[in-house]
Amino acid sequence: MSVSAAGAAGLRLPPLLAFLLRRLLRLALLLVCVAALAFALARAAPVDPVEAFLGPAAAQVGPEQRAAIAARWGFDQPAPMQFLHWLGKALRGDLGESSIFAAPVAQVIGERFAASLALMLPAWLLGGALGFGLGLAAGAREGGWLDRAIRLYAYLLAALPGFWLAMLLLIVFAVWLGWAPVCCAVPPGLLPDQVSLGQRLAHLVLPVATLSVLGVGPVALHTRAKVAEAMRADFALYAFAQGAGRAEVALRHAARHAALPALTILFAGMGELFGGSVVAEQVFAWPGLGRAAIEAGLRADVPLLLGIALATALFVGCGNLIADLLAQAVDPRQRRRA
Amino acid sequence: MNARAKIKARVNARGRLLLTGLTAALLLGGALLAGHGMDAALLRPRFGLAALPPGPGYPFGTDALGRDLLARSLRGLETSLLVGLLAATASTLIALLLAGLAMLGRAADAIVGLAVETCIGLPHLVLMILVAFALGGGVGAVVAAVALTHWPVLTRILRAEFQAVLTADYVIHARRFGHGPWFILRRHLLPHALPQLAVGFVLMLPHAILHEAALTFVGFGIAPARPSIGGLLAEALGSLSAGWWWLGVLPGALLLAAVLCLDGIASGLRAWLSPRVAEA
Amino acid sequence: MLPTLRRLAALGPALLLALSLAAPALAAPRSELVLALPGEPERGYDPIQGWGEYGHPLFQSTLLRRDADLATQPDLARSWHLSEDRLSWDITLREDARFSDGRPLTAEDVVFTFNTAAKAGGTVDLSALREASATGPHSLRLTLKAPRITFAESFFTLGIVPAAGYGPDYARHPIGSGPYRLVQWAPGQQMIAEANPDYYGPKPAFTRLTFLFTGEAASHAAAMAGQLDLVAVPPSLARRVPAGMRRVVVRSVDNRGIVFPMRPAGDARSPTGGPVGNDVTADPAIRRAINIALDRRALVEAALLGFGTPAYGPADGLPWSNPESRLPDADPEGATRLLEEAGWRPGPDGIRVKEGRAARIPLLYFAGDSTRQALALTVAEMLRPLGIAIEPEGRSREDTRRLMASRAALFGWGSHNPAEVYNLYSAASTGHGFFNAGHYANPAVEAHFAAAQSAASLEASLPEWRAAEWDGRTGYGMKGDAAWAWLVNLDHIYLANRCLDLGRTQIEPHGHGWPITAGILGWRWTCP
Repeated sequence: MSVSAAGAAGLRLPPLLAFLLRRLLRLALLLVCVAALAFALARAAPVDPVEAFLGPAAAQVGPEQRAAIAARWGFDQPAPMQFLHWLGKALRGDLGESSIFAAPVAQVIGERFAASLALMLPAWLLGGALGFGLGLAAGAREGGWLDRAIRLYAYLLAALPGFWLAMLLLIVFAVWLGWAPVCCAVPPGLLPDQVSLGQRLAHLVLPVATLSVLGVGPVALHTRAKVAEAMRADFALYAFAQGAGRAEVALRHAARHAALPALTILFAGMGELFGGSVVAEQVFAWPGLGRAAIEAGLRADVPLLLGIALATALFVGCGNLIADLLAQAVDPRQRRRA
Repeated sequence: MNARAKIKARVNARGRLLLTGLTAALLLGGALLAGHGMDAALLRPRFGLAALPPGPGYPFGTDALGRDLLARSLRGLETSLLVGLLAATASTLIALLLAGLAMLGRAADAIVGLAVETCIGLPHLVLMILVAFALGGGVGAVVAAVALTHWPVLTRILRAEFQAVLTADYVIHARRFGHGPWFILRRHLLPHALPQLAVGFVLMLPHAILHEAALTFVGFGIAPARPSIGGLLAEALGSLSAGWWWLGVLPGALLLAAVLCLDGIASGLRAWLSPRVAEA
Repeated sequence: MLPTLRRLAALGPALLLALSLAAPALAAPRSELVLALPGEPERGYDPIQGWGEYGHPLFQSTLLRRDADLATQPDLARSWHLSEDRLSWDITLREDARFSDGRPLTAEDVVFTFNTAAKAGGTVDLSALREASATGPHSLRLTLKAPRITFAESFFTLGIVPAAGYGPDYARHPIGSGPYRLVQWAPGQQMIAEANPDYYGPKPAFTRLTFLFTGEAASHAAAMAGQLDLVAVPPSLARRVPAGMRRVVVRSVDNRGIVFPMRPAGDARSPTGGPVGNDVTADPAIRRAINIALDRRALVEAALLGFGTPAYGPADGLPWSNPESRLPDADPEGATRLLEEAGWRPGPDGIRVKEGRAARIPLLYFAGDSTRQALALTVAEMLRPLGIAIEPEGRSREDTRRLMASRAALFGWGSHNPAEVYNLYSAASTGHGFFNAGHYANPAVEAHFAAAQSAASLEASLPEWRAAEWDGRTGYGMKGDAAWAWLVNLDHIYLANRCLDLGRTQIEPHGHGWPITAGILGWRWTCP
């Protein structure tokens, strides 16, 4: 419902709220589209749906049982019907059962997502903070050696294969120097409640470092641009005229100017963050959602794959939503295409 | 800086970028030719030469089956580049087509916009996994997955460009004169879009290559049909604790170098096409 | 500079390791172990769904077990008797067995397990079961539909589940009467087991076991960092033994071989969904040529780094295999002659052609398994000069199941019972799991199988099993149909803590790492 319609109905919504409502509806529509796309792709796969449904147990099932399963789950119905059937169940929270893990998809996703989050959240914060700091330093003295070094660093980072960086860190810090554990989320042999916080942190170090390093680039470059722009603005000139140093101006004024845009970039980059997490989890044997996605795709676990598609689309969608909200807050004149 | 010095600086900057681009192109081309010219026997298992570290005769060392790592890495690079080229071409064409279709009317524009947002709404790797799965997970599936998932960003850019062009005065006049949409497309939109297309194409290449490497690294594609950098690194992961560090470090370094070359070529191209861009 | 730096840096963990090992030497003998095995049962620890299919399911008990000499020992069963008509087994159970929730194990539980497993599918063998019924609180009768001597294998491999406690969540929270019980399982990471206080057998020396399922690479790395007491390693990682550990090499019947599609390509679809048949492998000359051209000793050296022995059949060295069925291998001239005589002439690119068909054979293997990949690539390299182009393809298990009826596939088997031979070569098992992937069917072989199954005892059935491999005129072995090209028997390689005494190990079957736990009750910590 648009702002005008709301107005016509006699409601007076503040513009930001109206924007939020519009975007939420759009997000819902988007999720349905994503679901349809994912479903269509999964159906197109050259995999027998009954085989995929049963997983390893397919080996022992006879033809009559197969027909019964096909009928009960609607595999013999036309695709749009199947999609609606699946969507209906998904909306009620039933995403089916994962054939790989023999557990409800929602449960698998919940567990795995929590593990991924433990990795992604610190990396996101750290990468953001580092990127902002570097961008600030670079933009404060445009053209200086620090600026050039940081730009070179960001440039290199964009060309770096993420999983290779992960492997390098693994080789150097875990295999050669032995400073970090070689894999996994917890030390072997301990029950979850026996693992100390320190041990958990130790296992987080390498994967988080990898992800942070990978996430620094876009934030740093964008911040740098904004800071440089701010340093050339009028209020900066006034500050310089009053004797303030470059660093002081940068920290006091430019940083505030660049903070929200940096945050916007951070939220918009959640999709890339997840992508980085997928390969980091593979290298460090981290039991997260990324690895589950790979397993599901390689081993034809359709319910899990669809569930993950939905979950990650929601994740990215929320990130983009917040980014857009922030962008709106920064400059409401920019009528972003809803 | 006075005006003359400014112009000189601009020309110098442009010249530098062009030179960089040319050098990068030569390096990359040279590496690929060298890889193609290497003896095919180096790619096959050779008993007795297993797991040799880099040294004389084996610049990159050998793997567990005695296959020369440099030969395999260069072949893998060739594969990655081919896939990248294919992907960039396909994605560029798709982007052009969709952006053009979007100009046909509000409904078409809305649909194209929705399609773009849907594809951007998923993490890129998840979308690629879905496409690769849909196509059977083999080598062709990986190529298609990379080729069919890079169009959204370029489509968005082109759409914005086309919108700007369509609202320009000269196009409105052309319409008033009675020229049809096909004429508008050919005479006005396309020429305007070509520089964007070219730049978009070249910028897409490194992304496509890195994504192809990531997909084969996590296990899609079919080992060991053709060596690919991602596949090499995935194999190397298993032998890191055996101390065979060169299997993991060197192919990745080669990929990094190749992507940097491509970035250099991209900047050179931009400098050549639109001198103002060289200032950025 | 780099190697020196590396050597210096390598001292770090070694120093730490030395320190960490010194400390416990002053403490009491260890009662906890950390192990890393490759074969995590992703669907859980439910015997009815296949957990423990090679024996010794850790959490549950089986009716019988095999000791280090592979001799039969009673476990849950006190007596077991096959009737005259070979259609029913009468079994009496021990009376002191308890499940880990305290409930006593009775005949009802055994009956429930067998009946449920037969309906759920389980292994092909249980399809012979008509019904299990209790004849007393600790005695039962298993009635078969037809005589089936291999049915007894299930006595060694089917863990008994409680009738009352079995539900859909059983696989994640198993309850059994075995020596250990499951405490915690994080799929993809680790599983923790503790000794079952109610276990009727000898008390294990180790009260707590942690199993890591982190994959070949991570597991070996954890061993190098001194975090593991026992790890199964592939040949490529076997030469790097960390300080404080020793390498243990165990002989096994775990084999690897290539199965060929036996039928020509056609329109038929296999039960697993893919097309059936391959025109190249359907030609017996190709199969025989591959078998005699391969140099299996060189294969062991190249692909297994010496950790293995050549294999010519599915059960080499076991009483039901027939050494007569072997042909000498490493004979490329003989193979060339065979191919030429059969009409396979070299084409312009060196690959042989017959009737317009090139000798290209896709070879599937499970992606991610470095040993299978090494074997596939080495085999391809060996057959190249012959003019046969083997094209290895690393695939997932699911894809392999779909494609194996039309492509050659590299599989691994190896059990202590001829049941497996039956499953691999009998037409009845086509479509079940990975059995008889090539759609092999030979009436003479079937007749021998039928005779073997209706024998009075395992010993009595042995001549028929051997005849199935080669009876002088035909058979599934090299001299006959050459339905498979068996390659090697693997050695199972483990790195074990120097203080861990594994006791006597049996000749291990195929089992993805678990067979080492067969002797777990005899493991001891030898350091003070």
